[in-house]
Amino acid sequence: MMEKAKILSLIGLIAIIGNWVGYKINPIEALPGMIMIVLATVIGLALATYLPVKIPAVVWISFIALIATTPIFPGNGWIVEQTGKINFMAIATPILAYAGLSLGKDIEDFKKLGWRIVIISLVVYTGTFLFASVFAEIIFRIQGRF
Amino acid sequence: MKNSVKLHLIVLAFVVVGEWIGAKQFNIGVGTIALFPMLYVLIWGAIVSWPKFKLMSDKQMKHAATVLGISFMLFVAKLGTMLGPSLPKIFEAGLSLAFQEVGHVIGTIAIGLPIAILLGMKREAIGATFSIDREPNLAIIAEKYGADSPEGRGALGVYVCGTVFGAIYLALLAGFLGSLGILHPISLAMGAGVGSGSMMAAASGALAVTFPNDAEDIALFAAAANLITTILGTYICVFFSLPVTARLYNWLEPKLGRNKLSIDKGGDQS
Repeated sequence: MMEKAKILSLIGLIAIIGNWVGYKINPIEALPGMIMIVLATVIGLALATYLPVKIPAVVWISFIALIATTPIFPGNGWIVEQTGKINFMAIATPILAYAGLSLGKDIEDFKKLGWRIVIISLVVYTGTFLFASVFAEIIFRIQGRF
Repeated sequence: MKNSVKLHLIVLAFVVVGEWIGAKQFNIGVGTIALFPMLYVLIWGAIVSWPKFKLMSDKQMKHAATVLGISFMLFVAKLGTMLGPSLPKIFEAGLSLAFQEVGHVIGTIAIGLPIAILLGMKREAIGATFSIDREPNLAIIAEKYGADSPEGRGALGVYVCGTVFGAIYLALLAGFLGSLGILHPISLAMGAGVGSGSMMAAASGALAVTFPNDAEDIALFAAAANLITTILGTYICVFFSLPVTARLYNWLEPKLGRNKLSIDKGGDQS
């Protein structure tokens, strides 16, 4: 758990540096928001690890971050303001850097695949993205929202 | 520890240079392609970790994968803080959110399964198309058919493809579809919540670059859709997607299947 908390803090630091370069937010100004994001993550991970109920960490973390930013939570306005200083893309960039740096280990497996499975995977990703978008759009149009 | 210092320093360098370059859009005639820091660092990472270059050890790559799993949680927390203040807005779009999930579920099967069968795949087609084949889905397939079954190999194949190019592909697709102007950015954002972290991040990033004025809402609705897929996904897969895909396969295969290929079915996969 401590190890995870350390890694999360480190990525948080990298993210606020990226946030500084890409979105011109001073890292010191972004620090309180990032500390809260890291805290919500650590608490969520701890709950998923130590509670006997089988709820994935993703759900715990979403739930904690969500509750802390709703009007029922004391100081939610300040939390929203602070976490709002960190662009969501700035957090995703380091994550995808780690994703890229781990790819080398999958290349051998990838080379062994036939061309059919590569085509099918493209069709599967296109299908799920497109169908969901079109279904959402149909409902929005029926409701006259757009 | 020394290994991980090198890893984190590479990431820091990538992030600084990537964010400094910033987002770019390329016109390809019919639409635009969105390129942005997430994609640059992903590709640079792939180059640096390319086995031939020997810049990174296997251990370092495995460590990168572990860090990836943990770091994605930060992104989830950030999206959570965006969901809280916008709950009324999300509930207003509740019906669309419910139906987009139906789209996510049947979208993999509806086109994927017939095409897989037409291409001559056998039972691999079931594993390949019943879901987007991320880790939880692999577990479901392994439990039902075994990891080394044809179904398991199909699922693993799509899993590997998804790991290697899923995020890049969905980002290019999302940016391109967005630039066509047919679907509303919010509908596309919901579509981006495919239930895989890096794919969702990349696809919603591409949409945010394409529609900068809607960036916040895009992140919000992609996050909401992704959360629904994450929470319900496993149950839907076990009780709906997998049995339905298997039945559809039994029904469609005799109609569309290419018999002459069935002899070398092992060759489809290996």
